[in-house]
Amino acid sequence: MPDVNTPLLTRITQGSLDEDYEHVASRRAQETGDRSPRRPHWTAAIVVAAFGTLVAVAAVQNSQRSGVEDASRASLIESINDKRSDLAELQRKLVRLRELNVGLQDELDAVTTAAAAAESRNVRLAAQAGYGTVTGPGVRITVDDAPNGEAVRDEDLARLVNGLWRAGAEAISINGKRLTARSAIRNSGVAINVNGIPLSPPYVVTAIGNNKTLQADLLETTTGLEFQTGANALGFPVTMENVDQVTLPAARPQKPRFAETGTAEQNATQRPKETTQ
Amino acid sequence: MIAALGLLVGIVLGVIFQPDVPLGLEPYLPIAVVAALDAVFGGLRAYLDGIFDDKVFVVSFISNVVIAAAIVYLGDKLGVGGQLSTGVIVVLGIRIFSNVAAIRRHLFHA
Repeated sequence: MPDVNTPLLTRITQGSLDEDYEHVASRRAQETGDRSPRRPHWTAAIVVAAFGTLVAVAAVQNSQRSGVEDASRASLIESINDKRSDLAELQRKLVRLRELNVGLQDELDAVTTAAAAAESRNVRLAAQAGYGTVTGPGVRITVDDAPNGEAVRDEDLARLVNGLWRAGAEAISINGKRLTARSAIRNSGVAINVNGIPLSPPYVVTAIGNNKTLQADLLETTTGLEFQTGANALGFPVTMENVDQVTLPAARPQKPRFAETGTAEQNATQRPKETTQ
Repeated sequence: MIAALGLLVGIVLGVIFQPDVPLGLEPYLPIAVVAALDAVFGGLRAYLDGIFDDKVFVVSFISNVVIAAAIVYLGDKLGVGGQLSTGVIVVLGIRIFSNVAAIRRHLFHA
């Protein structure tokens, strides 16, 4: 009997054979005088057969399960590889899109610059054509009806305006109505209409231009002279004064309804859709 | 001789029929096999010592298998199944090695 102080490994090694074998053998030796029985071990054979079955079943189970595990591992590896290639593909796509984005950004910058240039050109052209507010030095000419009842007529103002254009005026307004390429000055009954709006005297004609020479140049033009002599003859009170800075308002924009820009040939090549409508 | 025949028959039966082990018992099959291996080697050594006994062999076989499986089952319930089965395997492995060493001495007188 191993005592308590024996090391564990030694105890296991010493007791590796079941003590029962020894007990049974010594008892049998006392009873029959023979330690070992001499008969076939049928029971032991059956138990050993059970052991063999156990081993076989365990091995078969293990190999089956390892097959399943291998399959699941293989599918996992396959899935990982698939995802990796997906990721690589997406990263390539990302790089492509980034490059595309850089290109588009450059394009956007160029288009923005062009748009800003076009916008400033548009503003400049609108100011020149009368559809944009302008400021500058100029001349203010006030014409009123004569005290004897003689009224200022459209042709008088038209002469004055033509003279101012000829004298180098860059922008003209009458009573705050800006003159454009489509402006007309005409009588409607007693009132004078400018841009289709009736005005009432006194008529204040403001022109932007070189105010050092504008008044003198006006009187040198044919129409300016005609206006001057007409006004003197009919007794219209006319005052002319230079102004250092005057602001002329913009005319109300009018969209052309029939006119298209460009020649018919240009439109046929550039805008085929509109010509086929 | 009869025992060797029995082992062969058992293996063949197991391979042919391949009985399905219930899923609940599956974790305890390997530890039961190791315990049975220990009982078988113990029996073989006793046979070579000339003190083999059927009853002792059967009892030691069954008790080895049942106790080993029960220990691992208990360990699983307590959450230390892995550690307990390692302990059982270590002890049974040492026993198997020392029994095999004794068998070797008997067979080869070395």
